[in-house]
Amino acid sequence: MSTITRIAREEWRLWLRSRVVVAAALIVAVLIAATSMLTAGRIADEQSQRTQQQIAAEQTFFAQPDRHPHRMVHYGHYAFRPPPPLAVFEPGVDAVTGQSIFLEGHRQNTAMFADTKAAADLGGFAALTPASLYQLLLPLLLIVLGHAMFLRERESGTLAVMLAQGQSGTKLALGKAAALLAVIAIFMVPLVFVAVYSISLGESALAAGSMVAGYFVYLCIWGAIVLAASILLKQRSVSLGALIFVWLFAALIVPRFAINASSAAIDAPGKIESDLVMLAEQRKLGDGHNAADPAFMQLQAEVLEQYEVETIEELPINWRGVVASYSEAELTDLLNSYAEERMGLEASQSRIFGLFGLASPTIAISSASRTLAGTDLATHHRFLRESEALRFGFVQALNEKHATELDYAADINRNADAEASRRARVNASAWQVLDEFRFEPDGADARLERALLSFVILLAWLTAAGGIVYGAARRVRL
Amino acid sequence: MVRNLIRETRFLAKDRGAIFWLFLAFLLSVVAVSFGVAEVREQRETIAALLEEDAADRANALEGQEDWGSAAYYAFHLTYAPPSDFAFAAMGQRDSSPWKHRVRMLALEGQIHEADTRNADFGLVGRFDFAFLAASVAPLLLILLLYDLRASERTMRRHDLLVATAGSPRSLWLPRALVRVAALALLLLIPLWIGTLIEGAAMGLALQATAIMVGSLLIWWLIVDLVSRVDASPSILLTSLIGLWLALAIVIPAVSKAAIEAGNPVPDGGEILLLQRETVNDAWDLPKEATMEPFVERHPELADHTEIEEGFEWKWYYAFQQVGDQVTEPLVEEYRDVRLARDRQAGTASLLSPMSMVERAFEQLAETDARSMIAYEDRVRDYHADLRAFYYPLMFPEEPYDSELLDDLPSYTPAS
Repeated sequence: MSTITRIAREEWRLWLRSRVVVAAALIVAVLIAATSMLTAGRIADEQSQRTQQQIAAEQTFFAQPDRHPHRMVHYGHYAFRPPPPLAVFEPGVDAVTGQSIFLEGHRQNTAMFADTKAAADLGGFAALTPASLYQLLLPLLLIVLGHAMFLRERESGTLAVMLAQGQSGTKLALGKAAALLAVIAIFMVPLVFVAVYSISLGESALAAGSMVAGYFVYLCIWGAIVLAASILLKQRSVSLGALIFVWLFAALIVPRFAINASSAAIDAPGKIESDLVMLAEQRKLGDGHNAADPAFMQLQAEVLEQYEVETIEELPINWRGVVASYSEAELTDLLNSYAEERMGLEASQSRIFGLFGLASPTIAISSASRTLAGTDLATHHRFLRESEALRFGFVQALNEKHATELDYAADINRNADAEASRRARVNASAWQVLDEFRFEPDGADARLERALLSFVILLAWLTAAGGIVYGAARRVRL
Repeated sequence: MVRNLIRETRFLAKDRGAIFWLFLAFLLSVVAVSFGVAEVREQRETIAALLEEDAADRANALEGQEDWGSAAYYAFHLTYAPPSDFAFAAMGQRDSSPWKHRVRMLALEGQIHEADTRNADFGLVGRFDFAFLAASVAPLLLILLLYDLRASERTMRRHDLLVATAGSPRSLWLPRALVRVAALALLLLIPLWIGTLIEGAAMGLALQATAIMVGSLLIWWLIVDLVSRVDASPSILLTSLIGLWLALAIVIPAVSKAAIEAGNPVPDGGEILLLQRETVNDAWDLPKEATMEPFVERHPELADHTEIEEGFEWKWYYAFQQVGDQVTEPLVEEYRDVRLARDRQAGTASLLSPMSMVERAFEQLAETDARSMIAYEDRVRDYHADLRAFYYPLMFPEEPYDSELLDDLPSYTPAS
């Protein structure tokens, strides 16, 4: 064991003497620290801002005066998605999707005002996050540090001496691996801090711990790739060039290529496109504003029979409210089926993207990290679903008030004069039907389950890269 | 000189490492251009299909309408920004900003911020398009091709001999590097030129794109040349060059972006929506004059037709929709101005980073930059104003409804 530590310590001594290495490590450390603090501050602001906006939206809704209930259906409500605690490390798709959505009757709106829409455009890498530094920059640092670890012994002739002394290649490789592992461990410290901070914000220890573990495995994969190259290749510059190629490929090219490929493989129609198809169908359902629409004749017959009366005027409930509620339910079914189809297609695109993790560990870790942080596409989709449930909930509750608390005769005469319009209102206490909405990330287990495939891919990478190092180290000759 | 170049070309043909990087460059360029062309086709097909379905839907919606108000309420109109002939090279903001809307004559602010964008993962990761290849990957390939020209000869211990026998160092290193830079530029550009031909983009665009590409490679050549004059081992040279690449590709853009965005805060988009919504909704409970007065200020020509006698009239309804837009104007203008200001400053800041500069230049050529997306939004606003200008003179004087007049509904024309 002491040989291994001695080899590792020697490696560290050399690194500390090299100005290039020390400078590179310091720059990366400063970048990580600065980005983490900036991101943490920004996310904390957004978190409190959105939570306050959500509360304010609820209070204004409750504070509306006596009104016709259908007016409140159109007055609408907002749903906000505050960033989850781990977003301080991995903001994920939140910047692209927009995080607030307007909810009203008869419509499903999109999330609006994405940050990227108003962002200063400085090219592909300008949106720096702690996660992207771990994904892109740290592997590069490991390459700079480690590309000649083993080669150096070969070049200086010390490899021959050590082998002659009876040290095995495996032991030598273990020593080098220990040295790199120490570097990785040091650079895990900022992430551990961020993870602990996120736990203090209410994140589950399981999710935060898995995040740390995931990045540790990821960096170990890169450590193993670097070590393997330095054992297998015989020239410093070749080893460095080859490793930079691997990095270029895994970190820059494959992820973007995977986006192109998944977009080409599955054509997910936009909302406007699927809305147009849907509108044709919707017209068959009738317009909920017009209770005399022929599509409602059958409904009318059923309701009249149920209450055993002849005309809608005799109904104990307000026929217009019944129609509004019925058509909202029908329409929502239709809207949801199209929305589900669209989200399903997007989810399959993202699954294809995730499978490219087999070609690049960077994709595997970035998918895992977004999922664990709760800033992935699936969480955005859940936000859309939950805000839709919120929308349907208050719209139908208002329609129910419309049907039960507003007299039909008063309702149809509401435009006659000011007094009639005043009579066609319900008491503002009815607005309390709105549910409180606080968007929460999935439970840690659910997120972990979703990230499982990416984790398996990462472990496969580690096994493969580790296997190559082991095989190469065993066969070390002069 | 020509003889030197021929000699160096022969050397290059035997350098397996260099051939590999050059082949990779060509392959990546082919991939980037073909995905770009395919994506642009798909977007064009989408637009063509949308146009057809939109017209059918509108015809359907207008059928059987009996007054101007309902016609305007039920008829939606497609607006869109078609991809330019050069968009295949730089998809730019088209993945994160919406380029299609369906609007009607209701308050525009409730409609124009709808974002019918693609899968959010696309906007987050970005596409592998030619702009990305040219801006970020090409410099790395150039570094890998050039960094050890001198150092490898030093390692082989031929450096001093070569310099001594070459007459002047220039006749030795210049042709060697020139051949590599030229080969890289050609291999990157040939697929782009072919793409330009397929898409039928203007020759001028291809020339400008070529100039940007070549200019960026020349800058990087200069950087590599200056750094590799240092008498250090090839791996230290490569490390320093990669460090420089990182600083220029990641650090400077990220710092500038953070500074620009902090210096130009955008108004909260939610506020725009909220204000518009509150205004429109409050109008139902306010006396009719409260809506009609600010409306008439904008439309004095309709002043004689703004008496609202009944509890509900379409004129009043559309008037408060418009007043909702009027109230948010200052906020909307600020939002737009800040976006433009950020973009302007990003343009200045990009002078510090060749990568940002190249990517922005390509987006400008392809009309997929922030400015073009804002220009599209302006067109939507203009079109919406046209709709109002069409309906108001019919609706307010209460001209009898005539569905044939609807044939003259303004149609949206995208920028050519």
